[in-house]
Order: sequence, then C-alpha cells, then structure tokens
Amino acid sequence: MSIFEYNGSAVVAMVGKNCFAIASDRRLGVQLQTVATDFQRVFKIHDKLYIGLSGLATDAQTLYQRLVFRHKLYQLREERDMKPQTFASLVSALLYERRFGPYFCQPVIAGLGEDNEPFICTMDCIGAKELAKDFVVSGTASESLYGACESMYKPNMEPEELFETISQALLSSVDRDCLSGWGGYVMVVTPTEVQERVLKARMD
Amino acid sequence: MARFDPYENNGGTCVAIAGADYCVVAADTRLSAGYNILSRDSSKIAHLADKCVLASSGFQGDVKALQRNLAAKELVYEHNHNKKMSCPAMAQLLSNTLYYKRFFPYYAFNVLGGLDSHGKGCVFTYDAVGSYERTGYSAQGTGAALMMPVLDNQLKSPSPLLLPARDAVTPLSESDAVDLVKDVFASATERDIYTGDKLEIVVINSSGSHRECIELRKD
Repeated sequence: MSIFEYNGSAVVAMVGKNCFAIASDRRLGVQLQTVATDFQRVFKIHDKLYIGLSGLATDAQTLYQRLVFRHKLYQLREERDMKPQTFASLVSALLYERRFGPYFCQPVIAGLGEDNEPFICTMDCIGAKELAKDFVVSGTASESLYGACESMYKPNMEPEELFETISQALLSSVDRDCLSGWGGYVMVVTPTEVQERVLKARMD
Repeated sequence: MARFDPYENNGGTCVAIAGADYCVVAADTRLSAGYNILSRDSSKIAHLADKCVLASSGFQGDVKALQRNLAAKELVYEHNHNKKMSCPAMAQLLSNTLYYKRFFPYYAFNVLGGLDSHGKGCVFTYDAVGSYERTGYSAQGTGAALMMPVLDNQLKSPSPLLLPARDAVTPLSESDAVDLVKDVFASATERDIYTGDKLEIVVINSSGSHRECIELRKD
C-alpha cells in the first residue's frame, strides 16, 4: 500500500464569487485502524491564506511548521503577508528541495490575493503546481471528490451556497472512502470574514 | 519470458436505478485498451428477457462470453417453462454462472436491472465471482468511484441492515431518474478517460422497454 494512504485523508478547495472554501476530513488512521477523529489537515498561514495537506500526517505537520517558519521570516523582512501565488511557489520550492526523498503530502493551497481575487492550487509531492479556476481535490478520497465536485460545482457561488456545496461534496465523497471521513472541517473565507465550521458525519 | 495474460480491462461504466414501477439501466459505449480507443460505439448492454437487462464492463471478451451464455440459458429456460425468466431468477443465475468460474473468473463487473414479479424496479449489483446484492441503485466499472457519491447524495438508499427492512427503490420519477443518469455520466466523462463517446440508456416499465442514445464527450 502507498505511503500516501497510510493515514487516510480528503482535502478539497472551491472558488466562489470573491470568496473561497477549503475543507478536509477529520480522521487520522493507521491503515484501517482509526486513531483520532479530530485531526486537523487545514492550516492557516494568514487571514486570507490557507493550506490543506493530505497524505502522510507526520509530513503534513512538519511541512506546516516549515511553511509557518518561512512565512514569518517573509513577514519580518517585507512587513506584509505573502500573496497566495508567492506562497504556492514557496511550497513548490520547498517540496522540490526534497526531489529524491519527498514529503509524502499533496498540498492544496487556497487564498485571496490582490483585489480579493480567489486563488486555488494543488501540487504533487515534489511541487508540480496545478492551478485551477473551479476546484481542486487531494487525498485518498480524491476520485470520489472529483466525481462529486464535477457534478455539484457551479461558478460564482455566494459564500452560503459555496459552504453548502463543498460540504455536500465532502460528505458524499468520504462516505465512499474507507480511509477518510469521521467528521468534516470547512472554512469559508470572504474578504471581510472567515467562517469556520465543523461538520458532523457518519462515524463508520 | 513471454507469459500468457488472459485479462485486460477495456473500461467503461454501467449504472442502474430502480424506481417504484420502472428501472433505468445505462452504460457508455466506449471500448478502450490502455490509452487507445478501440471503438466509440460498442454496446455493453444485453437485453436478456422482457423485464431484465444486463450491463457489464471489464474484459470485453469475458463480457461477450458471459452475456451469450446467459442469453442461451434464458432461451432454454423459456422452452422448459414456457415463460420468460424473471429478473430475480436471472440475478441468481448470473451469480451461479460467475461463481462456477470461481478460480478462473469472468473479468466482468455487472449491473442487472429490471422489474420483479410485482412490477417493481430492481437492481442487482455483482463482483467478478458472483457475490451479489439487491439495491436501489448501483454503478460499476471505471467511472463507478466518480458516480457513486453523487448517486448516494441524490438517492440515499437505506441501510440493508435496518430492521424491519426498508424499501430500496428510489423516490424519483422515471424522467428525473433518466436525467440524473445523464448528469452523472456527463460528469464522469469529464474526468474518466475510459468513459465517453455515447451513453446508451434502457428504460424498462410496465409498458415494455425503450432505448435511447445521447452523445458524450469524445476526448
């Protein structure tokens, strides 16, 4: 079995009208055994920038620590927050540094850039960026998520509808994946506020 | 050293939805081998009896052999009993036929749809060696993982473990079910390279069956 599937995960991000949403499941498992049901895979970089790290949990946490470190250095030197595009390049560079012994993570980056333009992107474990205008998915439930998002997504959704759509897509998908689920975690980010919600889901 | 490899996956997706008095069975018509498309118009659906339709994906050789085998057995049944086989009977026959080759299986993933003896829609879903279950809806094949969460979301079938047993048929009207099938295929075609070209839909109800074809993406 792949090391990417060792802990199980599902991460998804969607773009709405001047907003975005990023969501993940809450399961941490060791292969088929569930260890925790409050695991955090979506991390805040600053008020308008979030990263979700699917894949091996230990690498997700290590990578997050290194990213926070690099972002703080950037803030000190530049006296401003990083743009999502810049941050995506930083993640990509950090991952490619380990080209032949990679972090076993597939990141999903979502943020609001200049003029609150939403930005989402995903990449593979060695930093090949994949920019998208609609939605990005990663984790063990990625195939289910592709199907669900492809059916449910539509462009220019308002924050409330975006929340409903991403939640339905996440919950439907993780219910068909053995390695992810056990609750969900959704962030909806608009220029003025951040809504953070925990979803109750099937616990099986 | 060269080795005999009797199996190949020719891709494709099959879906069936059962309603109160109808059943929708659908499959795409693409036939692939690796990254090549062998045919854009190859049916996966076999009409085995009046109220019994089988859709199968997997290895086309095995699928054809299996469908012919079942059609032949159905004909013998018709001659012996002077009536067409019912859908639940065909379901058991298919299970036995698959399990008969337990140690050299048919590489075929089947969805059987039709009407039961009460005229109610029924869907039977299988693994390659004959394990089967009666459900309200099902998807099999290369696009199944993309379609199943959407069908769950729209149709939410009750758990088969519930007591007393609940009815698994979907609450949708016949035309809504056909529209849902078209939607899930259009979505799966966007992401699954083995699904596409054309969608063949067979609807069975009390007034017989009818077949329609719609176009899907060809890339």
